[in-house]
Amino acid sequence: MLEKTPSDRPDAAQRPEADTVGPHAVPLTLRVNGMTHTLSITPETTLAQALREQLDLTGTKIACDRGACSACTVWLDGAPVCSCMVLALEVGAREVTTIEGLTDREALHPVQAAFIEHDAIQCGFCTPGLIMSCVALLKRTPHPSEHEIRAAISGHLCRCGTYPHVLSAVLAAARTEEA
Amino acid sequence: MPEDLRTRSYPVGIAGVALEQLERNVADDEAPPLPPNARLSVIGQSTARLNGPAKVTGRATFTVDVKLPGMLHARMLRSVYPHARILSIDTGAAERQPGVRAIHVIEHPLGRAQELPGPGEPGDAHRRVRYVGDPIAALAAVTPKAAQAALERIVVDYQPLPFVIDLEDARRSDAPRVFDRPVRTEFFLGPAPQLPQHGNVHGPDTSASRGDAAAGLRAAELIVTGEFRTQVQTHCCLEPHALVADWRPEGLTVYISTQFTAGIREELAEAFGLPLNRVRVVVDAVGGGFGSKSRIGNYVLAAVELSRKAGAPVRLALDRHEEQIDSGNRPSTVQRIRLGARRDGTLTAVAIEAYGTAGVALGASVGNFAQSIYECAAFALEQSDVFTHAGPGCAMRAPGNVPGAFAYEQVIDELAERVGLDPLTLRERIDASPLRREQRRIGAERFGWSRRQPPGSSPGTLKRGLGMAQSHWPALIQINSSCEVRILRDGSVEVRSSVQDIGTGITTVLAQVVAEELGLSPQDIAVHIGDTDFPAGPPSYGSRTTASITPPARNAAYRALRLLMEVVAPSLGTTAERLIARGGRIGTLDASRSITFREAAAQLRNDQISAVASRSDDYGGFGRRMGDAAVGRMGLGGVQFAEVTVDTETGRVHVERVVAVHDCGRPMNPRQIESQVHGGILQGISYALFEERILDRHTGHMLNPNLEQYKILGARETPAIEVHVLENYQGNSATDAYGIAEPSIIATAPALANALYNAIGVRLRALPMTPAAVLTALGRVPCGSVPP
Amino acid sequence: MNGFEWMSPGSLEQAARAASATVATAMACRSGTPASDAAVLKAGGMDLLDLMKEGLLSPRRLINLRTLPGLDRIEPAGGGLRIGPNVTLAQLAADERLRTRWSALADSAGGAASPQIRQIATLAGNLLQRPRCWYFRSRAHHCVRKGGETCFAFAGENQYHAIFEHNGCAIVHPSTCATALVALGARLEITDRAGAKRTVSLEEFFLLPQADLQRENRLESGEIVTAIELPAQPASVRSVHLRYAQTESFDRPLAEVAVVLDLAEAVCRKAAIVLGACAPVPHRARAAEAALTGQRIDEALARAAAHAALQDAMPLSGNAYKVPIFTAVVRRAILAALVA
Repeated sequence: MLEKTPSDRPDAAQRPEADTVGPHAVPLTLRVNGMTHTLSITPETTLAQALREQLDLTGTKIACDRGACSACTVWLDGAPVCSCMVLALEVGAREVTTIEGLTDREALHPVQAAFIEHDAIQCGFCTPGLIMSCVALLKRTPHPSEHEIRAAISGHLCRCGTYPHVLSAVLAAARTEEA
Repeated sequence: MPEDLRTRSYPVGIAGVALEQLERNVADDEAPPLPPNARLSVIGQSTARLNGPAKVTGRATFTVDVKLPGMLHARMLRSVYPHARILSIDTGAAERQPGVRAIHVIEHPLGRAQELPGPGEPGDAHRRVRYVGDPIAALAAVTPKAAQAALERIVVDYQPLPFVIDLEDARRSDAPRVFDRPVRTEFFLGPAPQLPQHGNVHGPDTSASRGDAAAGLRAAELIVTGEFRTQVQTHCCLEPHALVADWRPEGLTVYISTQFTAGIREELAEAFGLPLNRVRVVVDAVGGGFGSKSRIGNYVLAAVELSRKAGAPVRLALDRHEEQIDSGNRPSTVQRIRLGARRDGTLTAVAIEAYGTAGVALGASVGNFAQSIYECAAFALEQSDVFTHAGPGCAMRAPGNVPGAFAYEQVIDELAERVGLDPLTLRERIDASPLRREQRRIGAERFGWSRRQPPGSSPGTLKRGLGMAQSHWPALIQINSSCEVRILRDGSVEVRSSVQDIGTGITTVLAQVVAEELGLSPQDIAVHIGDTDFPAGPPSYGSRTTASITPPARNAAYRALRLLMEVVAPSLGTTAERLIARGGRIGTLDASRSITFREAAAQLRNDQISAVASRSDDYGGFGRRMGDAAVGRMGLGGVQFAEVTVDTETGRVHVERVVAVHDCGRPMNPRQIESQVHGGILQGISYALFEERILDRHTGHMLNPNLEQYKILGARETPAIEVHVLENYQGNSATDAYGIAEPSIIATAPALANALYNAIGVRLRALPMTPAAVLTALGRVPCGSVPP
Repeated sequence: MNGFEWMSPGSLEQAARAASATVATAMACRSGTPASDAAVLKAGGMDLLDLMKEGLLSPRRLINLRTLPGLDRIEPAGGGLRIGPNVTLAQLAADERLRTRWSALADSAGGAASPQIRQIATLAGNLLQRPRCWYFRSRAHHCVRKGGETCFAFAGENQYHAIFEHNGCAIVHPSTCATALVALGARLEITDRAGAKRTVSLEEFFLLPQADLQRENRLESGEIVTAIELPAQPASVRSVHLRYAQTESFDRPLAEVAVVLDLAEAVCRKAAIVLGACAPVPHRARAAEAALTGQRIDEALARAAAHAALQDAMPLSGNAYKVPIFTAVVRRAILAALVA
């Protein structure tokens, strides 16, 4: 019964019988940054907690824990979501991408390089989440307007006030990608 | 002249405007005068942040990311009443909960005004809690969940007491008292006499007054008055206050998100009776501080106690709700200002009566803004703290000067209008600062100040307004600031200090300073900071970090290099004094002979040579000196211009553009400076338009203790910002560099308020300037309401 | 957040049978401590997790609706659209059919919350979320909507509360999509435990405090919203949704207005005007609709209609400022619909 973890795949969802797990820890398989991990979590564990506490992927930050600051942004099948408001159990077969999985090992993504070049960083706590949103934006809109960048990062709270440099970094990264 | 002093010539003045040379007598072992930035190769360049790669990849370790083997998780129990006597606390059931390892009941809480022992007065047999969120106890368990579950089993028998939340109510003589006895007076700068205390009112403090203000007001040809109100703002650091305390028989190690590792060590040593050499404080990346992570708090003491009791490392991180109610805040103020002036705009007297509340703490002052910025012989300031049953305030980015400037810079604009002068022209007459004169000139030109129209003349529904305001902040120095530079035998270089990088970029600046001195590039320098195992560095508050630590860093590099040169001089057939380090080489002054830095280091007899330097006094002396800190003779300035639009039907204010002209001595890293100025302006806009702690008058609970209902500026509220930084040399230290964090926020709120007035012709004298406030000021809000 | 069981039902019927309570009934209690034996349904879970993290809701079991097949599509139906309950706000905002024909809904969904939340939040969840009133969200305030005795807003801090229809409770309805959907004449398909389906107009689905203080709508325990039905729109219909918040980045609106106009040239054949963030339910501004109907819309008429929309406003001690804001936003929305 335990291997029937929830999934967005229709074939998985059409099983006639209900699964019920918890409240104690249950095994769970997560696909994160191209790797498959098996972990044991209680049902109330959020994706953010599972990433940070179980997989030591601490680049994903928790700041408000209510979806109000977007510091915990990761991708689910390429789309940015607040990982603090997603239960690890409901990720299913969807691919999770965190800041650690944005590029292979040492190389920086052009957006990361642009964040450094334009100093779109101060304390750095909101930075991984912002980068996840900005890279996702460039994937679907390679040449965003400043207005579109503001929209894409409208849920992010940066208390240090890096927004002006984030805007210039993303515009520059878009130009780099073009070149 | 004493033998160890030497006369040297320093550049002084504003680069590009007027630079001259000034002779100073400085200690012989100080690094020689640096020329202006134009003649340097690393300092003054926008070197990319050295910890940038770690921060953009998520590899940077914040305190909340620290995980130690066997680490326990702590939670705190907090008062749900704004004022109550704790009759009893029963921790028995919690102790029996599975996974619980230690419980600590807080008896003598910090972070509030401290009552003086009262002769003959009966002490309270029971502890009193004085605000919602006041910590009562803490416990540590094997998981956060177990800790939370056990916390809910602690039984507290409260006897609720009358409380007062509202500032005006608290001033009444019959208001419930927050403290029964007088509290110890504390001052931001230096010792002060004990102030009077009547009921909840502590003060007034009149120590900043000078001259005869009453006479000055009588002599005035006109008087401008105004009453201003500012709200309580919370810091909202994205990384919460957090630590991991690891108490071991051989000593205490604390990993903590802090603005001052060395200060935390000192406070911990004192609190736990440990010698300094048994306490180590460590931090890597800090996710924001803004003043709130300067000192130890109850959460720190609790975690250390729990670690001692449990014999295991204990992690304690506040959640967002706790952050909002008990990690400090910027106190509110009420300021009544009377300006006496002559028809030409010059001031005959300034009289300010101010009070405000930092809840159960002291510190609701209006700073030194009005007393310092404009020339006026007669200045009277009476300021009082009013205690309320609310969470304690603490320093927040430019404490005092932010609310102070909001009020004062508006009154100055009102005076300008009354005497028929442009706001800039009036300031030319009353502001003696040559820096701000230049800043006004540059700013007005870049901003297009000449476009400004008379107040309220903007046509249509969406009205446009232009305004400006000025900044002043004292140049603070931590004299107790040390730095070590080590040159290793492989030619690599280390900088070591306990100073911490809270996002301001001091890591990179230290590398720049040392690289410049050693003729290397910043990437060659490893900067090891944020650890009290290294020489004690300054705090990261008060805009004092750069001014305090870069001179010792340069001097240490200079002295280490001298030692290296003495080693290699014979092989180059000369003496150390005739050698120079540049371009990665050490060679003779005439460049006829040289070896690489690496080759030079390879000649070392030992693995390293090292020099430690501490902050020397400013070459021209300090203005004031108090313990470990000092105030420079010249303050830091700045002028900001703002363009706003106001939707007069909906009351929404949108900031379109800000031009900011600032100074911070010798600019070390222009892009990082620009980042910090952005931060000051954006926090200033957020303070001016959106942020406000809202307490429920009936229960004392904060109603917006999150990041949703506590409104903060985001990307769409960010205006176009143009930053210009003067190069200002004073010949004060080996680097002549200063900070920028605080000067950059002070002028923002008043610049917006003045622009808002210019747009709609009505002045807003209270913060935040919300749609409700704007519509009310415009007379558009209907009267009448429905009774409950 | 409390521990719970996680159930992944094999079918809608199974989910409905397993549900023992709605979120509203699981929260309501005399004591201030919510029941711990409820089994409640979860879709996107944005509001549910928020309530649980705040300790306002402690269910024994969550029933995951998110993975049930077929509930996340937008399909044509009789000239209109049938929207699955699990369709996300991001899907709605991006849907070309909505953007051209039912733009008020696309606008409302695209303006809600943040991009990250819109990616997860579902339409049904948006309609069924509990109010954002800060007293309701505070564990320290056992308010009337949670089973207590008092609405604290009337004598308390009420700057973001209702200016209409606050009879006993001054919440504003939290759903921004509901404002648009009521104006568009949407209906809900609701399936009960037995698999029986009923449809109800969204407007009638929501409940005022005088009808029920502890819930915002008529959803009963064991019922599941299985579709949101949008009626056909003639090509002559224009719709807009305007949202006005203090900050545009991430903020709950101070005012929102949906306007749906059926136009012949500039003459209004039919109007639906719904105000959000102003009353315990999406507030139908019938006086404003009447002012427009049969008339040629111009600036002056829009202004008159806006004033009519606010004529019955009963602001509380701290929120009279919302009246001029709504007056402006209603007028602007009418004029925007004219050229939409």
